[in-house]
Amino acid sequence: MAGLGKEYKAGEVIFRQGDTGNCMFVIQNGEVEAIAESDGREFRLRRMGPNDFFGEMALFEEETRTATIRTTKPTRILSIDKKNFLGGIHEDPSLAFRIVQTMSHRIRDLTDRLARYEQQQ
Amino acid sequence: MSATRTRHGGPVELPFQVLARQSEKMPPCQARCPNSGDIRSWLGIIAQRGRNGLSLDEAYDKAWRRLVEFNPMPATIGRICPHPCEDLCSRAEKDGAVSINAMERFLGDWGLSRALELPQRATERFPESVAVIGTGPASLSFAYQMARRGYPVTMYDKDQQPGGMLRHAIPDYRLPRTILDAEVERILALDISLHSNVEIGHDESLQALRDEHAMIFLGLGAQAPKYLGIPGEKGPGVIAGIGYLRQHKDLDEIELGAQVLVIGGGNTAIDAARSARRDGARVTLVYRRGESEMPAAQQEIDDARQEGVEFRFLSTPARIIRDRDRVRQVEIQGMRLTEPDADGRRRPEPVPGELEQLPADSVIVAVSQMPGWRAADLGLDSESWLQADDEGKLERGLFTGGDDLGPGIASRAIAQGRRAAESAHAELRGLAPAPRPRTLRITHESVRTDYYADRPRSQTPRRPEEEWLTDPAVEIDLTLSYEQASEEAARCMSCGLCFDCQQCYMYCNPGGFTRVAETRPGHYFVMALDLCEGCGKCIELCPCGYLEARDTAG
Amino acid sequence: MVEGLELLTGKAPKPHKGEAMALEDGSRIAVIGAGPAGSMFSHFFLSMAETVGLSVNVDIFEPRRFCHRGPAGCNHCGGIVSESLVQRLATEGLSLPDCVVQRGIESYTLHTDVGDVEIATPLQEKRIAAIYRGNGPRSSEPVDTQSFDGYLLDLARNRGARVIPRLVTDVRRNEDLMTVHCADQFSDSYELVVVATGINSRLMEMLENETAEFARPARTKTFICEFHLGRDVIRETFGPSMHVFLLDIPRLEFAALIPKGDYVTLCLLGDDIDENLIDTFFSSPEVRDRFPGGVIPGHVCHCYPRINIRAATPVYGDRLVLIGDSGTTRLFKDGIGAAYRTSKAAAKTAVFHGVSAEDFKNYYAPLCRRIDNDNRVGKLVFTFASLVQKSRFARRGILNMAANEQQQVDGPRRMSGVLWDLFSGSASYTDVFLRTLHPAYVGTLLWNLVAANLPRGAGRIGRDAERGDDHVRH
Ligand SMILES: Cc1cc2nc3c(=O)[nH]c(=O)nc-3n(C[C@H](O)[C@H](O)[C@H](O)COP(=O)(O)OP(=O)(O)OC[C@H]3O[C@@H](n4cnc5c(N)ncnc54)[C@H](O)[C@@H]3O)c2cc1C
Ligand code: SF4
Ligand code: SF4
Ligand code: SF4
Repeated sequence: MAGLGKEYKAGEVIFRQGDTGNCMFVIQNGEVEAIAESDGREFRLRRMGPNDFFGEMALFEEETRTATIRTTKPTRILSIDKKNFLGGIHEDPSLAFRIVQTMSHRIRDLTDRLARYEQQQ
Repeated sequence: MSATRTRHGGPVELPFQVLARQSEKMPPCQARCPNSGDIRSWLGIIAQRGRNGLSLDEAYDKAWRRLVEFNPMPATIGRICPHPCEDLCSRAEKDGAVSINAMERFLGDWGLSRALELPQRATERFPESVAVIGTGPASLSFAYQMARRGYPVTMYDKDQQPGGMLRHAIPDYRLPRTILDAEVERILALDISLHSNVEIGHDESLQALRDEHAMIFLGLGAQAPKYLGIPGEKGPGVIAGIGYLRQHKDLDEIELGAQVLVIGGGNTAIDAARSARRDGARVTLVYRRGESEMPAAQQEIDDARQEGVEFRFLSTPARIIRDRDRVRQVEIQGMRLTEPDADGRRRPEPVPGELEQLPADSVIVAVSQMPGWRAADLGLDSESWLQADDEGKLERGLFTGGDDLGPGIASRAIAQGRRAAESAHAELRGLAPAPRPRTLRITHESVRTDYYADRPRSQTPRRPEEEWLTDPAVEIDLTLSYEQASEEAARCMSCGLCFDCQQCYMYCNPGGFTRVAETRPGHYFVMALDLCEGCGKCIELCPCGYLEARDTAG
Repeated sequence: MVEGLELLTGKAPKPHKGEAMALEDGSRIAVIGAGPAGSMFSHFFLSMAETVGLSVNVDIFEPRRFCHRGPAGCNHCGGIVSESLVQRLATEGLSLPDCVVQRGIESYTLHTDVGDVEIATPLQEKRIAAIYRGNGPRSSEPVDTQSFDGYLLDLARNRGARVIPRLVTDVRRNEDLMTVHCADQFSDSYELVVVATGINSRLMEMLENETAEFARPARTKTFICEFHLGRDVIRETFGPSMHVFLLDIPRLEFAALIPKGDYVTLCLLGDDIDENLIDTFFSSPEVRDRFPGGVIPGHVCHCYPRINIRAATPVYGDRLVLIGDSGTTRLFKDGIGAAYRTSKAAAKTAVFHGVSAEDFKNYYAPLCRRIDNDNRVGKLVFTFASLVQKSRFARRGILNMAANEQQQVDGPRRMSGVLWDLFSGSASYTDVFLRTLHPAYVGTLLWNLVAANLPRGAGRIGRDAERGDDHVRH
C-alpha cells in the first residue's frame, strides 16, 4: 500500500520501441532493461534501477520511443507527465539539470560503444 | 474510551484532550540525597544566571547561600559524601551524572575563599536555651539551624576538638583539617558556645542539662568498634579501624610492622588500609564477599588498589596466631556466596577445609561500629541504638539524630539534625509541625534527555599519582576550576522544574504562554488555561517534565 | 533604495564599490527551522554550490526531534505531497522512499449530500503521497515508517549541513553579519540567515514585534486529528483514495479524510475552525457514514495548526530571506510544494547571484509575487466553491458531470480535471480558474445542472457504498 507509482510484474513491457508517448518514467524500486529491437533481434542497451529514469526524450520532442523498456523483476514506476514537467522547467530551468546530465552521459556511453563496435568491424 | 451521544444524536467517542498544567516535581537527585538537598535549585541559579541578570560571581554566591540552607558544611560534605544522588541523576545514562558532589565541594570552597557568612533566618532572639551534646555533623547541623532561628546554643563534647567522626576518622587525604576547621568555626561563630572535654553522663548528668536548658539534642554517634570475636583477637597487634584512624590522624606513633591485614569491606576498612599504606606498611584487605559486594565506593577501591593495597576477597579471619606477644599470622577461612535467598541476597558461607595462613605483623579490624555510650548513664531507656520518631524526637524537649540512631553517612546525620531542629523550633514556639513538602517525584520517562545537547561530565582534577603517598596530608582529589563549575552546572537538566528552554512558549499554537516580567529559576512563563486547545504538544516538548497533563476526569 | 527587511533592522553597510554582497568559500549560512523549506533549501543550496565549486557551511537550527511520536515531533499538516511535487522531486532524483510514504493515493472521492463520486488519476497510478510530518500520531506503535520532515533533513545532513538542535529566539543585524541567538544563550554570526520557521512557532511574531516595517504572515486556525482504525479496515473503507467533503457548513472551506497506515487523518481548513464547527462536521451523516458502523471513534491525537492566509512583507533583506510558510505559500493547498519552490529559488539566488536585498528582490521576490497573485485567484475559486456548497442544485450538477466523465473511457474530463486540480493542488489556481471559463466546460455544466435536477434524476451518479453500483442517492 505504501509506495508511489504503478506496479509491474517481472517481464512486463512499459512501452515498446516505436510507440508514441508523452511522459517520462522514474523507477521507484525494482529494475528495468532498455532494449533496442532490430531485424527481430533484441540488444540490451542498459539496465536501470531505483531513481533512474527513462523515456525522457518524450518530454522534449513529440516522437516515438527509441527503445523498448521491460521490467526484469517486480517494479514500481512513477510517470512524469509533460505538462507538469514543462510547467516546472518554465519556472525553474534547473529542474532539467539532472536529466540533461544523464542524457549527456548516455550519449557519451553510446558514442563509446559505437566506436568500439566500429573498431571490431 | 467511552462512547457517549452528542447533542446531534450520533454516537461519538470522547475525543482525546489533554490540557496542560505547570507543576513542579521533585528531581531524582533530591529524592535520593539523604539530606533532600535542593540540588537542582542551586545548580539552576548558576546555569540560568544569564537570563536572571547575575554575573558568575554573584551566581556562585547565591548558589552557596541556597546550598547552606540545608547543609552548613558543603566544603566538607563535598569531599566525603559517597553521593548517592549521582546514582539516580537523570543524566547518568546520557553522558554521565552531573558531578553534584564536586559542585558542592566547589561551592563550599568558594564560600570559604570569599568568607561568606551563613545566612540567618530571623532577626528575632528567643530566650529558650538549647544544649547540644556532641559536635559531629548531626549536632553541628542542629546547632546551626537553631542558632540561625534565634536560639542561644551551647555545645558539649567529651573531646577536645569539635567534629566527631569527621575529625577523628576521616583521613586527611580525603578531608584536610583546615577545611573542617573553617566550616566548623563558621558555624560556631553564630553565637554558639562550645564546652569541650565534658562527657555528659560522666562529668555532668543529662538531667542537670535538662534543668538548665529548654531543649536538648543528643548527637552521640556510634564510636565504639565492633570486633570479630575470633580466637587471638584480644591482645597486642590487633587494633580497631576507627581507633587506628584516630591515632593515625593525631600523628601518634603506631607500631604496625611491615605487613598489615585490614578486615572489612566498608569505607572505614578502605580508609584504614590506605592510611596504613601512608604509614609505610604493606597492606592486604580481607573481605568475606566479592569486590562487587563491597559497600565502599568503587572509586575508593580503585584508588586503594592504585596505592598498592592488595585484596583478598571471599575470605574471613578464623584465628590470629601470635608468637609470644607478636602477631605472626592470621588463619584465613575461604568463603563462597550462597545462592540468592528470598530477598535476593547472597550470603557468605565457609568452604569446608579451605584454610590458609597469611603472614601479618598487625591486624586492623574495621567491620562496624556501635554506640560508645551507655543509655543507662544518660538515664535513657534503650538497649543499644536510640529509638526516635521521624523528626528525631525522643520525648518533649529531647531530640536526637545521627549515628546514635544507627550507622549512616554524614549527609544523613546533617538531615536528621536539621529536621530535629525544625521540629524543636515548632515545639518551642507552639507552632504546628512544618508539613513535609510532598512534591511528586518526577519519573525518568518524563525527562526527555534527547532534548539536551551532549555535554560530557567534567573531569575532577586530581593530584598526580606519584604524589599520593608522599605525605599523609596530601589531598588527592582537587576542586573544579571556576570555569569548570559553571560548565558542570549547565549540565543539570533541571528535572521537574522549568528552566526556560522556551519550547512551550515558542510552539503552543494559541500562544498560551506569556513570559513573566521578573524571572527566576522555575518561574519564566505563566500559562493561560482558557487558551489551551488541548493538543498536549507542550507536555511532550517540555524536556524537564515540568508541564504535565491536567487530570480532566470528572 | 531597495525595500526589504532592514532590521532586524537597518541595512547592512554597503559593500565597497564593485564588490557584491555574495557568499564565498568559507561563508556561513544559518537556516532557522528544518521543515520542508529549511531542509530543501539546505539540500539544494549545497548541491548547487557544489556544482559551481563553492564551499559554504550550512547550519540548520532545529530543536524538534522528528523521531518523536505525537505533536512534539510533528510539523502539523494533512500530510499530502501533491502530484506535482511528487513528480518534481522524482525528477530531481528524490523519489520518496516507501517508509516515508504511508499510503500512495490514486483517487479522490467527493462526498456530498446528493451523492458521492470517485475521481481517479487518468493512469490509475499512485502519484500522490500521504505522509507523516513527524513520526506518526501520539501513542502509535513503532513501525518501519519515517517522518517526511526527518527524511528531508537527512538529505540536507547528507549533503553536509550541520544540524544544531537549538531553539532560535532572536535574529539581529550586527555590523555586516547576522547574529542568531538561541534559548540556551548560544549565539553565532552568519553571512546569510534563512528564516524557515513556518508559522506554527512564535519566532515570526517576535521578529514582527521588533521590526516596524515587517509584517508576519496572517494566519487562521485549522484542525487536524488522527483516528486509529487499523490497516485492514482502512483498506476496505477508504482504499487508496482521499475523501473530500462538500458540505454546507459555514466557514468550512475544505474537509478531507486521508488514509495512512493504521490511521486516518482528518483535516479541516477554513476560517477559524473551532469546536462548534468540528461538532457540526462530525454530526453530518456524510461524514459518519465513512466510518465503520457509522460511529466516529475517539481520535488519538489532535491539534489546531495555523495556516497562512496572507504572505509576510517583505520576504527578504540584506543577508536575510524568508522561505516556505515564513514567507509565502499557496492558499490552503500544496504548502510543501510552495516550500520546495521558494526554497529552491532562494538557494539559486544565494548561489548564483548574491545575498543582498537587491539580489533577492530581483531573483527571489518574483516567484513569491507569482504565488501571491495566484492565491488571489484562489480566493475567488474558493468563494465560488462555497457557493456550490451552499446550493444543492449546483452540487447535483457538478457531481453529475464528474460522474459521467468518470464512466467514459475516453473523452474530455473537464469537471474531473478541475476538481482534481483543485483538491490535489496539482495546478495553479489561475489554471483551474481559466479552465472553468472554457465554453465547453460552461456548456456541459449547464446541461448537467438541468439534467441532474430534473425530477427522478436523469443522471446516475455516485457510488452506493453498500451495493457498489452507480446510482443517485436522493
Ligand atoms: C491543517 C493543515 C493541513 C495542511 N495540509 C497540507 C498538505 O496536505 N499538503 C501540503 O503540501 N501542505 C499542507 N499544509 C501546509 C504545510 O504544512 C506547510 O505549508 C509546510 O509545512 C511549510 O513548511 P515550512 O518548512 O515553511 O514550515 P514548517 O513545516 O512549519 O517547519 C518549520 C520548522 O521550523 C522550526 N522552528 C520554528 N521555530 C523555530 C525557532 N525559533 N528556532 C529553531 N527552529 C524553529 C520548527 O520546529 C519546524 O521544524 C497544511 C497546513 C495545515 C495547517
Ligand atoms: S539532571 Fe540535575 S535535577 Fe536532574 S537528577 Fe541530575 S542533578 Fe538532579
Ligand atoms: S501546546 Fe498550548 S494548546 Fe497545546 S496543550 Fe499546551 S498549552 Fe494547550
Ligand atoms: S517547555 Fe521549557 S520553558 Fe516550557 S515549561 Fe518546560 S522547561 Fe519551561
